[in-house]
Amino acid sequence: MKLTINGTARDVDVEPDTPLLWVLRDELGLTGTKYGCGIAQCGACTVHVDGEPRRSCSMPVSMAEGTDVTTIEGLGNPQAFHVVQQAWVDNQVAQCGYCQSGQIMSAAALLDLNDNPTDEEIDRAMSGNLCRCGTYPRIRAAVKDAASKLRGA
Amino acid sequence: MKHHFLSLVFIVFGSGAFAADGEKSAEQIAAAEALANAPAEGSISTEDGLAAWDKVFDVFSHPRCANCHVDDGVPMWSGSHYGETRPHGMYVGGDPDLTMGQIGQQCNTCHMDGNSPVLHGPPGNAIWQLAPAEFAWFGVSSRDVCEQVKDPSRNGDRTLFEIAEHIEHDALVHWGWTPGPGREPAPGSLSQTVRDVLIWGAAGAPCPTE
Amino acid sequence: MGRARTIARRSFLIGSAAIAGGVAFGVYAAKRPFDNPNLANLPDGSASFNPWVIVDSEKVTLIAPHADKGQGIFSAQAALIAEELDIDLDQVEVSFGVPNKAYFNAKITEAAAGFPLYDTSPTAERVRGFLGGVVKLALPAQATGGSSAIPDSYDKLRKAGAVARETLKLAASQQSGVPVAQLKTEKGAVILPDGTSLAYTSLAGAAASVELVADVVLRDPKDWKIVGKPMQRVDMAQKSTGTLTYGIDFRTDGMRFATIKVNPRQGGSLNGYDASAAEAMIGVDKVVEITGGVAVIAKNTWVAMKAANAISFDWGEAPYPAEQSAHWDHLASIFDDAHLNAEARVEGDVEAAEGKEVVGEYKSPYIAHAPLEPLNATVLVTDDRVDVWTGHQLQTMLAPQVAAITGHDPENIHLHNMFIGGSFGHRLEFDFVKQAAEIANQMRGTPIQMTYSREEDFAHDFPRHITMGRGVAKVKDGQVNSLDIQIAGQSVVRSQMGRLGFSLPGPDTQLHEGAWDAPNFNLPNLRVRSYLTEELAPVSSWRAVGAGPNVFIYETLLDEAIFAAGADPVEERLRLMGHDVSVKVIEAVAEMCDWNGPNVGENRGRGIAYGFSFGVPVATVVEVSKSDAGIKLEHVWMAGDVGKVIDPVNLENLAQGGTIFGLGHAMNCEITYSDGMAQQTNYHAHEGMRLYQCPPIEFRALENSPKIRGFGEPPIPPSAPALGNAIFAATGERLREMPFNKFVDFV
Repeated sequence: MKLTINGTARDVDVEPDTPLLWVLRDELGLTGTKYGCGIAQCGACTVHVDGEPRRSCSMPVSMAEGTDVTTIEGLGNPQAFHVVQQAWVDNQVAQCGYCQSGQIMSAAALLDLNDNPTDEEIDRAMSGNLCRCGTYPRIRAAVKDAASKLRGA
Repeated sequence: MKHHFLSLVFIVFGSGAFAADGEKSAEQIAAAEALANAPAEGSISTEDGLAAWDKVFDVFSHPRCANCHVDDGVPMWSGSHYGETRPHGMYVGGDPDLTMGQIGQQCNTCHMDGNSPVLHGPPGNAIWQLAPAEFAWFGVSSRDVCEQVKDPSRNGDRTLFEIAEHIEHDALVHWGWTPGPGREPAPGSLSQTVRDVLIWGAAGAPCPTE
Repeated sequence: MGRARTIARRSFLIGSAAIAGGVAFGVYAAKRPFDNPNLANLPDGSASFNPWVIVDSEKVTLIAPHADKGQGIFSAQAALIAEELDIDLDQVEVSFGVPNKAYFNAKITEAAAGFPLYDTSPTAERVRGFLGGVVKLALPAQATGGSSAIPDSYDKLRKAGAVARETLKLAASQQSGVPVAQLKTEKGAVILPDGTSLAYTSLAGAAASVELVADVVLRDPKDWKIVGKPMQRVDMAQKSTGTLTYGIDFRTDGMRFATIKVNPRQGGSLNGYDASAAEAMIGVDKVVEITGGVAVIAKNTWVAMKAANAISFDWGEAPYPAEQSAHWDHLASIFDDAHLNAEARVEGDVEAAEGKEVVGEYKSPYIAHAPLEPLNATVLVTDDRVDVWTGHQLQTMLAPQVAAITGHDPENIHLHNMFIGGSFGHRLEFDFVKQAAEIANQMRGTPIQMTYSREEDFAHDFPRHITMGRGVAKVKDGQVNSLDIQIAGQSVVRSQMGRLGFSLPGPDTQLHEGAWDAPNFNLPNLRVRSYLTEELAPVSSWRAVGAGPNVFIYETLLDEAIFAAGADPVEERLRLMGHDVSVKVIEAVAEMCDWNGPNVGENRGRGIAYGFSFGVPVATVVEVSKSDAGIKLEHVWMAGDVGKVIDPVNLENLAQGGTIFGLGHAMNCEITYSDGMAQQTNYHAHEGMRLYQCPPIEFRALENSPKIRGFGEPPIPPSAPALGNAIFAATGERLREMPFNKFVDFV
């Protein structure tokens, strides 16, 4: 099965019902995308498929064929942060950090279409991402910080 | 602000989507046959028409249907997975104009092309969205749903035959009877519901008085 | 090498003596030093001055041995060393190091010493010192828990940094001929009077062969450059880019993926199973038996989970009541002398005390830990050794557990401790490690990564213990005159230690923690009794342990009494409080929220609660509003006193996060049993708080406590009663049972 992950063509040998999450993690070694619940309740597995946020734990890999998949690794890296990642570091958001890949992917998808979200719009976009440590106040601050950076403010 | 684009595409309920594999199930074939053999207008008594409507309402008011026919943009959860009926978690939706959810958390962020095979996983279909708010059935009485369904100004400008056709065609409607592991399907069957709508229509679409 | 070993041993000896503070412990430490574990493989030209600092020609490595499950201790330990070593955190590499008894935690037993932690009398300190000595000599345990990592590290690691710094200066002095007194240090280098900078890395070889400088004086906190200032955690960039390797992310050549199914009736037997469908699946390597269940080994975790779901099982019965109602009935039946755990506190005479009675019964349910990273461990068993890659809080106790399965000498079991994606206490348990070891032992030579499905994680959690409280308050002349509290529950410590093969006699202080030690010294009549059972579901330490349920009981009853007395909740709590540090905490939160300011208005209410856990007083005020849609959390204010703030940014994050954790579980989380199985199988039924429900949370840190304390747990206990008390103020409905969503809807 042929996939395009972070702009790179990848060939994987898996059953078509295998969730994209496990193809990324166990077959391709892209472990930045996390397993948390397996039923789209926690958002830790969020990736972008053709630019839209999707929960990869519930997406059969067959659905990802012919699409462009972006994972947290494709968004940026410690040497070249994406603006959302920079905001996450500047605001010292993470505690355990396990949910943050998914939080950042959701935030990046939101800000890609709306670089000046209201509190309500942030709540609507980000409430599918569970954080057991309770970093929500900092997530909110970081989303606003990233938005203002995006607007050049 | 670019975020209203989501709602524009699918404002009109019923996109004519078929089962993902393109193959018609036995139920779909039976439903098509029911359409082809619709009873003639006036051939059904009011009493039988009302009885048919009751069965239609049992389907429309069932959680598999009514949970996504809401007026406030917030779908409902209910059944063995989620206990008593309550608003969908995760603060989804909330804008009746955005039937596919809000930016950052659209319906298809979690709901995929088909049902998750995992118990409690998200159900799915090629298109997953709320019905327009004017088709709200959740918590609405049988009489009011009945009046809405037959009113072209509130049903997408459809004749009753076209409503039956829509039920026969639409894959998201079909999902109500194939809702995935652990979920109670809508009562009756697809073909029976198409037949009941046609019978009700042929009786002059009588509605309960209270 | 030989000389380096002697030197390092000696320096650690001195460091240890200095840590202890208490005389008795210092003597033990001086008599029984541990080897510096870094010396085992230290290359020539490298120096390790103690177990926490390694300098070679390339880099400076700081060892941060406490487990990091999100609380930021990895960074905080490095900062404490770096503060005295005079090096920036971006100039060092930080490592968990190798588990070793040299990293024993002498503070983890402080709460078990039988003295309230505000009691710093010589007797209390002596007993704590003795218990610390027991940890060192008898266990000795490298362990992270009980909010003890900061207290354990505070002096010890600064001392380690200072010893390293002074020794590097001595090496520079010998090399340059400049007297030590004229040398300075900054940013990882020794600076000569002429401005010449000698990087520590350039001094590594020389430092390895000079006498260690043991006589060091710790800096005055006012001179700190790193500690006490807002920091950038060293794990933040990786955690924000998906590049941090948690245990579940570990990958190695030839690794196969596994998952397990064990009897969801905890501790029940496996009577039989049919795995033929699973074995026939594409990608499945093998199905093997483990204790109480089976494991599937496959090409990836998904195949393993799918196959595990295709196995049919015949499970045995649960060794505890099958239905939840029987658990509550049982608790209700043990308020008697036969089950007495302790009459933990008696002040005055609650029986004879006068006043109008206020009576309440309170319930705190089982709750799952459910860290977002499901439990997992990777194990490779060969004939010579066993390697375990996982995150664990009881680092040095893991080897014997694994050795008992594989038959290796514990010395040949090597734990590579990993970052942990949340624990809340679950990573104190060993089942998941033992299960991975059982699988790998049947697959020798193949690294096996075993991951729980979320459903298995819920089914096989050892939840927070269930608790029932009964209280009688007496109010008189507009004041609270008496509180009589009885707490019936399980002994978390016995349940947990029992699984490790230890039996602990005597009362379990956690069963009344947070109630017996409430510093309401101005309350003339107070009695706290606890009752213990071991007949219910197996349980484990859940963040804040006993204080979670007990502060809920205490502070809800107290609030009821205050309302019955017609007193003000803040004023009356201040009147009753006889502990100055706690008084200031309550005063601070009242000032922050302007408690005495304008009325909050119609359909709104505020509640306050105070909690004392792991030595930290915390006061929390919650404001809620009510509407047709339900209760909405509007605002939270909290103040806590940790003695000394290491990193104000991380502390605020822990304060807010701990409060959200406490509030979220009080709102909507419980584990209930039916047919012996937990009914909640995933987050849809045990959700906690979501972002949209999160109110603004303002936090103020105070530094009046005489001792430094950890803050991983103390924000939790007062959050639930503060919410319940706020709901009462807004609605008039008194909530005596968690979760609150059984009685009210939350917006």
